[in-house]
Parts: sequence; C-alpha cells; structure tokens
Amino acid sequence: MSTLIERHIVSLLAEKDDKAISLLYENYGDTLFGVAYKVVKDGDLAQDVLQESFIKIWKKADTYDASKAKLFTWLFRITRNTAIDKLRSINNKSDKEVQIDVSDVYNLGVSGISPEHLDVQENLHKIEEKYRIVLEALFFEGMTQQEASDELDIPLGTIKSRLKIGLRELGKIYGTTMTLLLLLNILP
Amino acid sequence: MKEKVKTFLDSDILEKYLVGDASKEETLQAERYIAMYPEVRDTYNELQDNLENFAKLYAKKTPEGLKEIIIASAKQEKAVFKRFYKYAIAASVAIMLFAGSSYFFWSQNQSLQEENTLVTNKIKYLEDNMKDQLEDMRNQFIVLNNPDTRKYQVKGEREGKELKAIAYINPVKKLSYINVSNVPQLPENKCFQMWAEVNGELVNLGVIKEFDDKDKLLALPYADKAVGYITIEPEGGNTSPSVENIVANINF
Repeated sequence: MSTLIERHIVSLLAEKDDKAISLLYENYGDTLFGVAYKVVKDGDLAQDVLQESFIKIWKKADTYDASKAKLFTWLFRITRNTAIDKLRSINNKSDKEVQIDVSDVYNLGVSGISPEHLDVQENLHKIEEKYRIVLEALFFEGMTQQEASDELDIPLGTIKSRLKIGLRELGKIYGTTMTLLLLLNILP
Repeated sequence: MKEKVKTFLDSDILEKYLVGDASKEETLQAERYIAMYPEVRDTYNELQDNLENFAKLYAKKTPEGLKEIIIASAKQEKAVFKRFYKYAIAASVAIMLFAGSSYFFWSQNQSLQEENTLVTNKIKYLEDNMKDQLEDMRNQFIVLNNPDTRKYQVKGEREGKELKAIAYINPVKKLSYINVSNVPQLPENKCFQMWAEVNGELVNLGVIKEFDDKDKLLALPYADKAVGYITIEPEGGNTSPSVENIVANINF
C-alpha cells in the first residue's frame, strides 16, 4: 500500500515536475545516501552515486510502474546498482573482491549519523549480527544466496534461514515501533 | 501451498528481483508468480517493506548543498531534454521535408531519364531515316542527272494495261530506280508487286501501293542484265511471283 506522499511524488514524476526531485530528496535522500555509502564506503563517491542516481531516476521517471514495485524499491534498485557499477568501474576488481572488502566494514557510516537517525541505528543493533551480515550481503553487496554462502562460508540452507529470520526480526522491530506510535497517538 | 510456489519461494529469485539483480527470465518468472499467487505477492510486499526498513537503518545525513546540486542537475537535464526534444522535432521535420523533396526529385529524374531515352531513340531513328533519305535523294539525283543513265518506259499488259512506269538505270554507278506514274485500279483483294531477278534469284521489291507510291522514285537492286517484273498478287503481296500474272517486264 503506497502512502499519500508516495502517490504524490509518483504523479509529479510522471508530469516531469521539478518538485518531484525535491520531495524525493527530502523523503528518501538520507536512506538512499546511506545505501550508496554502504556500498562504496566513501563519502565523496557516495555523493557522486546519489547525484547520478537522482539523474537516472529523473530520466527514467516515465518507466516507473507502481503495480510492479513500491516507489522505494524502485529508488533502491537504481541507487544500489549505480553504486555497485561505480565501485566496479573505480576498482576494476572482480565483484568478489569488492564484496570481501565490504564485508569487513559493517559499522562504517555510524560517525555520520544525525540525531534523527539514532533511533534507526539503535534498531540496527537490535538485529543480531549473524542476520545483519546476511541481509547486507544480499541487499547491499550484490551477492546471490549462493555467493553469500561461499563468501561468508555459511551453508546455503543457513543463509536462507538467516535471511528469513533476519527479515522477521526486522518486521518485529518495526512492528513494535509502529504499535508504540499508534498507542502514543491513541492515548490522551 | 502448491509445490511449485514453495520451490519458487525457496529459491532466491524473488530476493534477486527485489533488489534488481534478476535476469530477464527470472524477472518474467517473478512477475508472473507475483501476479498469479497471493502468497508470492504477500511475500514480495513483505520483502519490499522489510527492504525499506532495513535500508533506513543505514540512513546517513546527506551533505549540505548536495540537494541544490542534484536539483540543478535535474533541471539542466530537463532543459537538455526539452532542447533535444525541440531539435528532434525540427530534425524530424527537416528529414521529412528532405525525404519528400528527395522522392520528388528522384521521380522527376526518373521520368526525365525515361523521356531522355525516348528522345534519344527518336533522334537516332530520325537521323538514320534522314541519312537513308539523303542517300536515296543523292542517288536519285545521280541517276537522274547522270548522262550515262538510261531511261526505260514500262508499260503494263493485260489487267495492268494502264500501268505506266519509267525505269532509270545507271550501269556506271550501278544504280536503278523506277517511277510508277500510274497504277490501274485493281479489285480490293489484289495488288501490284515488284520483283527483280538478281543473279538468277527473284528478289521481292515490295507491293506498289496505289496512291502513296505514285510518282515516287523507288530504288531497285542493281545487277547486270537484271530483269524486273511487276505482277498482280493477292492483297498484301506474295512470297514468290505468280508468273502467269506478270503484267510488266523491265529489261535493264
């Protein structure tokens, strides 16, 4: 189910209205910057990636199909893949080597966290590292489950189960947060 | 849950599709399963929510000024696109005009070429015709003015009694002409045909048309001691002369 702001941005994008970029940046900029940073591990590079990604998003605006993916999923795909391509073109190394490098620095980016992100960062630590590693490898580092199994030296079955449990944990965290927010709003 | 749905969910196709890593075939399969099976659709939606939540955990404050740079780039891109669009329209119009005019000139050129060929052929035909006529005129002039030219009166016999012709023979220039001045009226299915015996063989000189060939000098093939005949033949002429129908003899 898409939110009202999401639908508004989508309609602005379809009309090629400049306001769409501004709204996208305000609503998703920090998350996408974090995604880019997580992949390239460099502030300047992450800025380049974010800029390139926004230009791609702007150019491809008419190809977005709300029936196939949520707006964030679409934005994430573009940013993540732009970041992976950037990293590949700069390092000119194999994807494997890049992934090994990335897997060594999971806590990067914490220093740049602004106060409003502290709550989500806290949530990050609520996910056990063994699940987080798997989620990061699959979502940020361009690995397939098999590749993650090989790289992290974890059996494929365990990768699958850790992915499912990790996602469930994530759901629980946000589910709890949502319940608390709802209670706060309902209670006088 | 259907076995194939379970197999699909156990594979990592949906996760790959989620992050944009799926191949073309995998993408098609994922989209088909999402559309067909509610349990796949629910899992996909859940994955999308979880991905967003997970990515938010890594959110990082964007640097100051980046927003302005990005907005400026997008506006520039839009301007470039608009300019490109404008140029594309102009280019399309120009291409269409060019294609239209090219086709027009091409078809013009084709018809002019055809006309040119026609005119060239006509000129060549006229030239050849003129040469023949000039040659003929020259020969007629030679024959008629040359003192060596002998003149023979040809008179018809029997049905061709009224046939009158004059043959001009020049043994020096080896030229001979005949002028048929009067052609008697013949039944509709008959005509006069001229022949010449050259070196023992009879050569068809053609049919004398009643009106057209009157008072015209007709060239005859020249041969020493040649004999000319005029016969009455069926309309359109014959392939060999009918001896019984000889109405005139021309002894050169």
